[in-house]
Amino acid sequence: MKILIGVTGLALFAYLLIHIAGNLLVFFGPVVFNNYAFVMEVKNPLLPIIEIGLLLVFLLHVYKTVRMFLVNQRARPVRYVKKKWAGTPSRKTIASVTMIVSGLWLLAFIIIHVKAFRFSAEYEWPAGGRDLYRQEMETLSNPLVVGFYVLSMIVVGSHLWHGISSAFQSLGVDHPRVTPALLTAGKVFAVAIAGGFMVIAVWVYLHQAGRVRV
Amino acid sequence: MMRLTLKIWRQASTTAAGRLVDYTADRVSPDMSFLEMLDVVNEGLIKKGEDAIAFDSDCREGICGTCSLVVNGIAHGPDRGTTVCQLHMRRFKDGDTITVEPWRAKAFPVVKDLVVDRSAFDRIVTAGGYISINVGGAQDGNTIPIAKDVVETAMDSAACIGCGACVAACKNASAHLFMSAKISHLSLLPQGKIERHRRVMAMINQADAEGFGSCSNEGECEAVCPKEIPISNIARMTREYFRAMFVGEY
Repeated sequence: MKILIGVTGLALFAYLLIHIAGNLLVFFGPVVFNNYAFVMEVKNPLLPIIEIGLLLVFLLHVYKTVRMFLVNQRARPVRYVKKKWAGTPSRKTIASVTMIVSGLWLLAFIIIHVKAFRFSAEYEWPAGGRDLYRQEMETLSNPLVVGFYVLSMIVVGSHLWHGISSAFQSLGVDHPRVTPALLTAGKVFAVAIAGGFMVIAVWVYLHQAGRVRV
Repeated sequence: MMRLTLKIWRQASTTAAGRLVDYTADRVSPDMSFLEMLDVVNEGLIKKGEDAIAFDSDCREGICGTCSLVVNGIAHGPDRGTTVCQLHMRRFKDGDTITVEPWRAKAFPVVKDLVVDRSAFDRIVTAGGYISINVGGAQDGNTIPIAKDVVETAMDSAACIGCGACVAACKNASAHLFMSAKISHLSLLPQGKIERHRRVMAMINQADAEGFGSCSNEGECEAVCPKEIPISNIARMTREYFRAMFVGEY
């Protein structure tokens, strides 16, 4: 049963919602963005608990899914010579058959991403905390980094395209009226989250380019 | 009359290596069922003194769940809600090439050619897919009140014929749709509710022990199921599992 995979997956989805809400503040300039970071990082006594909890949820999700993938591989030792997708009403998509690939990509991406923004050289923000705005501007001034981020956001979108609604199904949530809405909502959130992060990365890059020209 | 090229999986025994072998089927009538077409091919092979192609069939009217062929990559072939015995050759065109393979799963070892051993399903049912309490003699009609929609859902789940197409179609060779149909059918009804906790636990444990995979919620199983059993049953099975985990005594 995939109860822990579903629960941890939904927890990570919830974290992504908070993450993108915070990141969107970048559009309001360095003061708003850095003050938000200051409140979240410095003024927040629960930060260590949240960070450790998030790490545990993440590791549990990776461990359980990789183990499940290996067990599932063993369930069909001889593969079909010819295999086709069965079509409607199947929900099978490119996204659903590549969950392990998108997941492992995200594992690598998150290691790089956390190293870049959580464990890296820091600029001080005069009003307190870190100047994360400057750090984001500088990190995303490199077109290769921006390209890698945009590509990784497509992977996030793909993972969520199947993952959100699948997590609910894995937890036994199913109803003739709710399920079609959940399937659609999962895809809408996937596009919104992936698209949102992509817009931020590209905007920061263009913003930088604009500043360089001036 | 049609002329077809068949690529059929031939495997002498469970341990032997198998391979696709090409056959030509001449004079195939569009009115033939897929299995009748294979019968004709087999008659030709027998006349030539060759080993006939082994495949399973019994009722040939779509209700027993014995036939089990993956036709051109789809379990039970291209028609929705149909067993392969009810697939007819009018679905194909003259000159087509048709690939025929057995169900493929670790838990369904090939016995010979296209015949697989599905006794793993029997062992899952033996683990808990039954009612062992004494429910007495046949009740008078309407003495056990059941809501109409509940009895309909239970009946729809009971339509599972245990053919194993769900396992064959699933990328993880999961038996979840089969198990969930049996569990839904029994747990929705008053007589079946009594043993619901131990049933769901025992059946899921047995499926894991047999080497079936887990559910990726893709629903290929539902799309090939000859009885069109929906994956909402799998969600119901999960809820039964939660209930057993938190409040069950088993």
